[in-house]
Amino acid sequence: MRIVGKVIQVAGPAVDVQFSGGHLPKIYNAVIVSSEGFDVPEPIDVTCEVQQYLGEGRVRTIAMQPTDGMVRGMHVEDTGEAISMPVGPQVLGRVMNVLGNPVDQRGPVETERRFPIHRNAPSLEDQSTESEILETGIKVIDLIEPYLKGGKIGLFGGAGVGKTVIIMELINNIALQHGGVSVFAGVGERTREGNDLWLEMQESGVVNPDDYTKSKAALIYGQMTEPPGARLRVGLSGLTVAEYFRDVEGQDTLLFIDNIFRFTQAGSEVSALLARMPSAVGYQPNLASEMGQLEERITSTKKGSITSVQAIYVPADDYTDPAPATTFTHLDATTNLSREIASLGIYPAVDPLTSTSRILDPHVVGDEHYEVAQSVKRVLQRNKELQDIIAILGVEELSDEDKLIVARARKIQRFLSQPFFVAEQFTGTKGRYVKLADTIRGFREIVDGKHDDLPEQAFYMVGTLEEAQERARELAAA
Amino acid sequence: MPSLIDLRRRIRSVQNTEQITKAMKMVSAAKLRRAQQAVVHARPYATLLESMIGSVLAHGGEDAAIGSNPLLDQRECRSVRLLVLAGEKGLCGSFNSNVFKAAVQFADDRPNQSIEYELLGRKAIDFYSKRGQQITGSWEHVFAHVEYATAEVVASNAMQGFRHGEVDEVWILYNRFENVLKQDTTLEKLLPIAPPQAPDRGFGGYEYEQPPEQLLGTLLPKRVVTRVHLAMLDSAAAEHAARMTAMDSATRNAGEVLEKLRLHLNRVRQASITTEIIEIVSGATALE
Repeated sequence: MRIVGKVIQVAGPAVDVQFSGGHLPKIYNAVIVSSEGFDVPEPIDVTCEVQQYLGEGRVRTIAMQPTDGMVRGMHVEDTGEAISMPVGPQVLGRVMNVLGNPVDQRGPVETERRFPIHRNAPSLEDQSTESEILETGIKVIDLIEPYLKGGKIGLFGGAGVGKTVIIMELINNIALQHGGVSVFAGVGERTREGNDLWLEMQESGVVNPDDYTKSKAALIYGQMTEPPGARLRVGLSGLTVAEYFRDVEGQDTLLFIDNIFRFTQAGSEVSALLARMPSAVGYQPNLASEMGQLEERITSTKKGSITSVQAIYVPADDYTDPAPATTFTHLDATTNLSREIASLGIYPAVDPLTSTSRILDPHVVGDEHYEVAQSVKRVLQRNKELQDIIAILGVEELSDEDKLIVARARKIQRFLSQPFFVAEQFTGTKGRYVKLADTIRGFREIVDGKHDDLPEQAFYMVGTLEEAQERARELAAA
Repeated sequence: MPSLIDLRRRIRSVQNTEQITKAMKMVSAAKLRRAQQAVVHARPYATLLESMIGSVLAHGGEDAAIGSNPLLDQRECRSVRLLVLAGEKGLCGSFNSNVFKAAVQFADDRPNQSIEYELLGRKAIDFYSKRGQQITGSWEHVFAHVEYATAEVVASNAMQGFRHGEVDEVWILYNRFENVLKQDTTLEKLLPIAPPQAPDRGFGGYEYEQPPEQLLGTLLPKRVVTRVHLAMLDSAAAEHAARMTAMDSATRNAGEVLEKLRLHLNRVRQASITTEIIEIVSGATALE
């Protein structure tokens, strides 16, 4: 039986619908508002999601598309189910929106199955417990906060410190070499970046829009231009596609989300429209449970894995802000980008002292890796402590050992920088992929003082230690 | 973002540092005046002594006997003694490290000669304590009140070593007090004494009652002692000057750090106040 209602109120993306006869659509069901029978310049076909029952047959829904031109009295039809995404190998190479509709103008996405975007997280006994390091080829990440295969990784950073660049580099380094499939969910970020990524993927052959068998990535976008409802749900849409590959095909899947903060932000916008009382710093009161529902689904099971890399914007560089703080607890590895380091010209601007990883543990990464990472952190920490003394009394007052530590710390800081493949057009230097073993050996030798004689600049923006030595020779010759 | 308590604690610690550096600056300034006077008063004596020796040497120019003074004996250099004058304490900028750098350079320049060190000042003793060098003497607490007697002992040790042929050269390394803002690391050869130029005027026309070699026998050792004494006075004055300058800039730097921290503290405090107000206001509005 068709459940049909009428629009009775439109307040931005919040649409109230009156249903009669005691028949109401279920919470989270998709309902479609259409302009059938109305004389409007542009026909309307807007999907909304049921959020609240207001009583007396009225429900409040949140629109996934702009509500421009919507008129009271328009027909609303219940689809009887939640928003669903087409899933299957056919989605590879395609660009879709939150509703699973293609936006790449290459015809409909024809799949055998659709999955609803609201699903339960895998149960405890299904979850995988393996710990294996995922090599990224980025020195600072591999050494200080190694990524876990099938783990959840967060990239925290304020505006303009290079989150998206690192995501792109990771896509370049992992996804291109990776055998399995990748899903990219663009949440509330720039449309241009989404477009660039798609074009780049076509260029590098990860994606072939005309032949899904040759494609290895699917892109799901709900960018800045979309209403809050879409930005709130597009993360789930992307995740649903990834879940199919994990659960049905048993593949090792990569899920990139840029940017989780926009999901929270959209939730906060929607929350106000649903008349919930704002909580700390004006965020939605259900911030933690909303985040939990998304994050708990991004996990690896015994059948297949999802390795997710999530960019997280940190408002005003304040890590205690509820949005990044809530996300923090869900992650296996966090990479914190710092403005201070970016202002030193060191890219990637990863702060080695605040970035952490659950698997930086001698049992997982091995004793040597662990020791080197810890001693690098020790040197940097000591250097940080000495900064006050240096600022007030000058370097001369340090003891000889401390002077050596400061010199090594400065070399380590510079050696943690690295040219990126995706930033080649900005830096003019070709990107470097540094193997984990080379990374560990390089930092061990610096910490051990084997390269105290090389000048600091030699370590800036190089790949391996050999390259630094060569640079030092060039500098000496010049 | 650091918490308010952390920031306050840091501000307090920097404030304490600032207080100490300020006090040290004032103490050094007071001590500097006295030390500076001592140097200024000692210099004319040393200059006159120099020209007197020059005059005596010029006077007995034809006499072969005066060249026979053992302190003028130029030998092939195989072993050297270096007198290193450093400070008693740190916190004086590059005062100490300049001397040590020069001392290390001195040793690097003489790879084939054996070098023994005579150390004056706590910092010099500390520096050489772990270096496994041959040390002939260590003197502590000699710069607070520079005694002529100390200079005499140090100088006579050096002269004895030179006369007996244990060392072929004696050098002295110290910070020379130019003015309050400028101290020059100076390396001078003490022994053998290079015969000073005869002065144009001054002692030129004198006749000496004693034979010149007898005069030189007294004057030359006196010259060595005076040089050591003057170097000690210079070093003491230079140390105070260096400390004063270093502490002055440290106080200024601490002030800058404090200013930054206070600004940061105020911002953090204001941010938390603003957040609270917003929460209360929006909470109240939501209830209306």
